[in-house]
Amino acid sequence: MLRYIARRLVTSVALVFLGSVLVFLLMRVIPGDPTITKLGGTIKDVNPEALAAIRHQLGLDKSIPEQYVSWIADMAHGDLGNSYFSQFSVTTLAGQRLGATLELALMAMVIGLLIAVPASVAGAIWPNRVLNAVLSGFAAIGIAIPTFVIGILLIIGIGVELEWLPTQGYVSFQRDPFGSLQSTLLPAITLGIGVAASTMRILRPSLVDVESASFVRTAKGKGLLRRQVVMRHELPNASIPAITAAGIIVAHLVGGAVIVEYVFARPGLGTLLVDSVFQRDYGVLQALVLLAVIVFIVTSLVVDIALGFLDPRLRTKAVR
Amino acid sequence: MSSATPAVHADAAAPARADSVGRRLLRRPAAAVSAAVILILIVVTVGASLFAPYSPTAANYDLLFAPPSWAHLFGTDELGRDLLTRVLYGGRTSLLVAFAATTFAMVAGVAWGFTAALREGWIGEILMRVADMLMAMPVVLLGLVLVAAFGASTLSMIIILGVLFTPATARIARSTLLVELRSEYYLAAVSVGASGLRIVARELLPNTLPVLTARGTLVLAEVIFVEASLSFVGLGVQPPDTSWGTLLQQGYSNLYRSYSYPIFPGLVILLAVLVLNTLGDNLQKVMDPSRS
Repeated sequence: MLRYIARRLVTSVALVFLGSVLVFLLMRVIPGDPTITKLGGTIKDVNPEALAAIRHQLGLDKSIPEQYVSWIADMAHGDLGNSYFSQFSVTTLAGQRLGATLELALMAMVIGLLIAVPASVAGAIWPNRVLNAVLSGFAAIGIAIPTFVIGILLIIGIGVELEWLPTQGYVSFQRDPFGSLQSTLLPAITLGIGVAASTMRILRPSLVDVESASFVRTAKGKGLLRRQVVMRHELPNASIPAITAAGIIVAHLVGGAVIVEYVFARPGLGTLLVDSVFQRDYGVLQALVLLAVIVFIVTSLVVDIALGFLDPRLRTKAVR
Repeated sequence: MSSATPAVHADAAAPARADSVGRRLLRRPAAAVSAAVILILIVVTVGASLFAPYSPTAANYDLLFAPPSWAHLFGTDELGRDLLTRVLYGGRTSLLVAFAATTFAMVAGVAWGFTAALREGWIGEILMRVADMLMAMPVVLLGLVLVAAFGASTLSMIIILGVLFTPATARIARSTLLVELRSEYYLAAVSVGASGLRIVARELLPNTLPVLTARGTLVLAEVIFVEASLSFVGLGVQPPDTSWGTLLQQGYSNLYRSYSYPIFPGLVILLAVLVLNTLGDNLQKVMDPSRS
């Protein structure tokens, strides 16, 4: 097991390294000079001395490998670097917006699982044609429906027509917990439907497989209650593919949050990312993208280690 | 009858199999409906000039943000243009980007994956590690980075989306080919001394084509989805070019004046993604019943 964990760790570190090089290089091949934007000029008639000063201040006068090393060293110390556009550091900018995104992601995950798990279990233990057709339909549409379409429909229906919930902006949790949850509910439902659909897509077939497995027949045969069979035997065994799905869910949350935050004008990391692309603020962009890549790789590392514990066969198999 | 030689048997079965994939597919109601819808979508958007009820540029300042009516089935936009017409013309860009980017991803991915499968050892290993690394990035995120690097336009969308979906295609192409490399027909082709290129083109490619087609159908759906997402936040197709994503973006910014403006482009995107997904899933099930 330790060897398995060690091997996965090494792969992950290598992936983070390669990812950071890729992001960094992509930022350097971009045509145009971000420092000219910072000086407020669009043409080349900016003062060369001011330009040199700013380039020096941002560390852009060093060679590319030197820039990379100092960037990574700063990142490792928790310093995300400076915005090329505003006077704030990326740590400050991202810190202001982290709450809105975290709250959205957590709530969307809870909503998604609250829909997916009961629905999948119901579908597996009641082999009812109509019910299963409804569930399949929900999963198919839930995967295909773009998050912005759900968002727009919810804004029109619940926000504008019924006036039940706010449709724009965000109230921070520290200031007003109830108002904060209210402002997060619609975006979280929007994102949660996609999470539910992709989880169901994996959980349902594996529950059906488990339902026909011999150990479930044994459990039923020895007279366990239906509830005990489902809770103790079926769900744990069906959870292996579902944990794999956790990686997919995180991908969904990271990508989906960008769009959902935009739809609901939420000041989160996703909108910060989109703004930084618009403003050509590569300082912010490279830090945010690297963070997202790290979140993503760490998730898949945790998933693989969890799977290694649950299913010993995976440990001996070569890591893909 | 049962004493037919294997060689004859295999010969007769080869064309029959390709034929029956299509037939078995269309026997599934969901797949048949999806295929029909895709065909209709392609015909009405490519032939938009024939099917559209109005000219895409005909403004009508007496009829801004009109709700759906018999004269304007989807309503009108901020300049009184017919929204149905704009959706049909916008579909040209969306489908052009989708098909071009998917073709890019399939060709590059198959070349990449096949090379990795055929050159085992360190070349194959490196190729797959690079694919893994690229796949470790969420698609929308990497898409945003590439847009930042290479700009937003219809052409850059095709290239960026093509690049985005290449690694995943490479992985599937490789695993599909690895299965075929264990087959007897491959051994037979090698043993009669056929050249490497000939084996790939005449034997391996035709046999992996069904699986790759299923994959391509799913990539089409994803490309439409991501293009719409990027265009929706303003970082995809740029006006005056119009795609379903840009229509949705314009509709969204006029949400409080007209509900139908954002809803109809949104529903069309949903429909396109849904039917392509359904077709791709069914294609996979027909070809590989054990995995369904």
